[in-house]
Amino acid sequence: MTLIRRALVAVGVAGGIAAVLRLRGSGGTPPQRGGWRELSPDELR
Amino acid sequence: MRVAVVGLGAVGTRAARQLASTDAVTEVVLRDERSPRVTEVASALGAKARPELGPYPSVPEADVVVIATPAGTQVDLARALVGRGTPVVTTSDAIDDVSALLDLGPEADARGVPLAIGATFAPGLTCVLARFAADQLDTVDEIHVARIGTGGPACARQHHDSLRGTALDWRDGGWQRRPAGSGRELNWFPDPIGAADCYRAALPDALLLVPAFKGVGRVTARLAATRRDRLTAPLPMLRRPHPEAGLGAVRVEVRGRADDGIRVEILGAMDRPGVAGGAVAALAAVELGSGRALRAGAGGLAELVEAKSFLAELGRRGVKAARFG
Repeated sequence: MTLIRRALVAVGVAGGIAAVLRLRGSGGTPPQRGGWRELSPDELR
Repeated sequence: MRVAVVGLGAVGTRAARQLASTDAVTEVVLRDERSPRVTEVASALGAKARPELGPYPSVPEADVVVIATPAGTQVDLARALVGRGTPVVTTSDAIDDVSALLDLGPEADARGVPLAIGATFAPGLTCVLARFAADQLDTVDEIHVARIGTGGPACARQHHDSLRGTALDWRDGGWQRRPAGSGRELNWFPDPIGAADCYRAALPDALLLVPAFKGVGRVTARLAATRRDRLTAPLPMLRRPHPEAGLGAVRVEVRGRADDGIRVEILGAMDRPGVAGGAVAALAAVELGSGRALRAGAGGLAELVEAKSFLAELGRRGVKAARFG
């Protein structure tokens, strides 16, 4: 019984940690703007 | 201005076409070992073209000469032209060629002649983009060049060979030799090319960029390649190269310092490599022939032309540079 309870606690804790990591992520949100754009005439003047 | 183009492959033909449509150019002398090719290109270019059929006992008479023959065949002609005091634009991107052409530097310098080395899509345009990016910075720490695509058959063969050679990188004041095909890196090229895996290869970019940017810490060059390219690189080409490939692109990343701290400038361009390479070679010839080279001697375009005006004129000719950010 103790073994099962400890296993359930371990699974719960691991799930909690996984959920936090999944939500927070490690790299943040990918860039939503930017990219390649032609050099404008002003930049080449 | 009278300009000679020696070698009428994918790049040479495009360079000749660009020159023929340049107001400052009055005559374009055409040479190629294949006489029918000379006649064919001359008839397509119109009144400014002046075909010269081989064999050629002497160097062409011109104010500036573009050498667009295959890699391994450019050095002797360049040496003869420099010895005669004629400005030269070369297009080879083979390390041996570029190294031998750089060795002509002292003689070219002594004679007051500019010798532009590797004036095509990459190197060439990449050198100009690196200079443009560096001009936005106070100091340059690193330059990383990547390219994808090939021009004509000679370019395709060079691409194949470069994946089995030895890559030459500059790191912390010394040259590093690494096996070509190693060092995979995912690079994002201008649209619509997008992302491609790039690898070290026997490319001459570092040889041209290191002298142009004194004190730079790292210079690397990578080439986009597929698994099949890398697998078959040690073998002879299994099939004939295509007459002309599709779109290609270059990407130049320059890291350095400015007033606001560490900055990364990323520039690129997308076009058919043969077309863009021809435009770069032609424009370089016009700059050198007009006496607008920034100095005499041998070097890449990063040292010999003014980056902003060069990119502006290249844009008017249809090869447009782009910035990432």
